[in-house]
Amino acid sequence: MVKVDGYEVPEGLYYSKEFAWIKIEGEKVRMGITDYAQKQLREIVYAELPEAGAEVKQNEPYGTVESVKAVSDLVAAVSGTVEEVNSEVQSRPELLNEDPFDRGWLIIVKPSNLQVELPNLMDFNQAVEWHKNQVQTK
Amino acid sequence: MAKRIIVIGANAAGVEAASAARKKDRTAEIILITQEKTAGYSRCGLPFVIGGQISSFNDLIVYPPAYFQMLKLTLKNETKVTAINTKEKTVTTADKAGSTETLPYDSLVIATGADAFMPPIKGREKQGILSLRSLEDGEKILQAVQNGAKSAVIMGAGLIGLETGVALIERGLKVTVVEMLPQILPQMLDADMAKLVQEHLQEKGMCILTSKTVEEFLGNDKVTAIMAGGERMEADLFISAFGVRANTKLAVDAGIPLGETRAIKTNARMETDVKDVYAIGDCAESLNLITHKPTCAQLGTIAVRQGKVAGKNAAGDYSLFTGVLASAVTRLFDVEAGVTGLTEAAAARAKIEVVTGVISSKTKADYYPTAKPIKVKLVVEKESQRIVGAQIIGGEEVTQRINALSFAIQKEMTVRELAKADTAYAPPLCETWEPMVLAAEMVLMKLR
Ligand SMILES: Cc1cc2nc3c(=O)[nH]c(=O)nc-3n(C[C@H](O)[C@H](O)[C@H](O)COP(=O)(O)OP(=O)(O)OC[C@H]3O[C@@H](n4cnc5c(N)ncnc54)[C@H](O)[C@@H]3O)c2cc1C
Repeated sequence: MVKVDGYEVPEGLYYSKEFAWIKIEGEKVRMGITDYAQKQLREIVYAELPEAGAEVKQNEPYGTVESVKAVSDLVAAVSGTVEEVNSEVQSRPELLNEDPFDRGWLIIVKPSNLQVELPNLMDFNQAVEWHKNQVQTK
Repeated sequence: MAKRIIVIGANAAGVEAASAARKKDRTAEIILITQEKTAGYSRCGLPFVIGGQISSFNDLIVYPPAYFQMLKLTLKNETKVTAINTKEKTVTTADKAGSTETLPYDSLVIATGADAFMPPIKGREKQGILSLRSLEDGEKILQAVQNGAKSAVIMGAGLIGLETGVALIERGLKVTVVEMLPQILPQMLDADMAKLVQEHLQEKGMCILTSKTVEEFLGNDKVTAIMAGGERMEADLFISAFGVRANTKLAVDAGIPLGETRAIKTNARMETDVKDVYAIGDCAESLNLITHKPTCAQLGTIAVRQGKVAGKNAAGDYSLFTGVLASAVTRLFDVEAGVTGLTEAAAARAKIEVVTGVISSKTKADYYPTAKPIKVKLVVEKESQRIVGAQIIGGEEVTQRINALSFAIQKEMTVRELAKADTAYAPPLCETWEPMVLAAEMVLMKLR
């Protein structure tokens, strides 16, 4: 894990430019939002997530997170069928602030087109560069 | 519901309004337009980059591009709104390349802020007079310091002038502050309280000349000296801090009425006299909670609160801005100064008869080694015995006392109620008798 200007970027994940991360876990993909994203939103008080069985599409919103002063769409990093939803985050949305890459995961998806979609995402090294860029142009 | 909301100005007030609008309406198109290169940065932090406490101007950016992206707010920077047409409900813009565009709106929020004010002083067209309003202004001042400026004259002893003066002393410059009125911080403090701050600043090496009007800028093309109160003052750096003026030209040209303070007139929803057009922040006026008269206090804290209200209303929600007490705080070297509500002088101008109480105390138990002095002044309306204002000068712990007294004034607390306040105590943290309570007791005795 590296920190870019205080923002965590863990290794072993793929990242989208819409502030999502994914972790490939065998046949499945775990998805969440980055540390950088949660820090822009600050104290998150509400997470609206899809039900298991819902379809999500790469680059399209699948839910929203709302903080005291902001609201943002959750944009899917890959397409697929939602297999599991983190119900703990729904009852304790502050987990998104406290632990965005671990206990604050949002959904687990069975991807439908991972081979084609994965190249659209950034790997760890690209994500570090991208974060550096975000911080500079801020 | 509004389909398209346009916000002119993307700073404290504008960004807050756009965020509040987005919370209400997840689908409306929300466009923020600013003529500046950088949006969503804190002007209030500028003096502390100059002073060196904050390492870079970049750190002042509160809302980076990612924020706008996440909230689906369209940001057009380096783009100036050149006209508003309230009949057609459009704004016309020109970007830096000069190309123009006309954009329709359903709701419009004017958050054009204020600019540094330069009075009609002889020689004002000369180069080298800096002010502190934008990031670029800050960079210019810091650049001048890094280029070896050794001395500075600051014109105006308001908050911005003094904060800048402190920053320059911290950078090793010799600083002279020239003020037209007989006291420093004339908008914020009564003369008796301002004197304490002035003494502290002088102890720290600031040269303060009050009751001196700047009469002329001297020098060929570039200013090399000023004349003030008949005296010639030379320096390497000249900073004008004469105050700020609301940016109202767009509104005036569009026929949107100004109020008696010459800022844009608004109602409690922050709506102007023209339907679906809102005005917020440094360019807008709203009511003073005590005098019930329009006021334009031009503070960041007011800008964000007005912004939230206007943003909600612009998106079809309902929200009211109840008014201002113009609560403000500052730290100048080791002294904090704060105000809420009316000063004694402001009360007199508003023909409100008051009784005051002033208490000197300590910020910790008197015997506790690091206790610092603190002075509380309460301003109480005579007939109702309601608290209408307070000023505090102290080594620490000023802000939250100002906030507590601001709540008290908002809740129309009487001085009798304040004298019975249930306060906490521990020697390393505060005195047994809270100085605000003692000040209330003093007022009660005077009211007997
Ligand atoms: C040095 C300094 C220190 C301060 N310290 C404090 C403090 O400690 N506490 C406090 O409460 N307040 C403080 N303030 C005041 C605070 O910064 C202002 O009240 C606040 O910035 C007002 O926000 P605003 O959004 O209304 O206006 P602004 O911040 O002025 O933003 C308005 C924006 O609109 C843009 N604009 C104007 N006209 C157009 C147009 N036609 N087209 C496009 N864009 C346009 C401007 O360029 C500007 O970017 C300080 C101010 C300064 C300068």
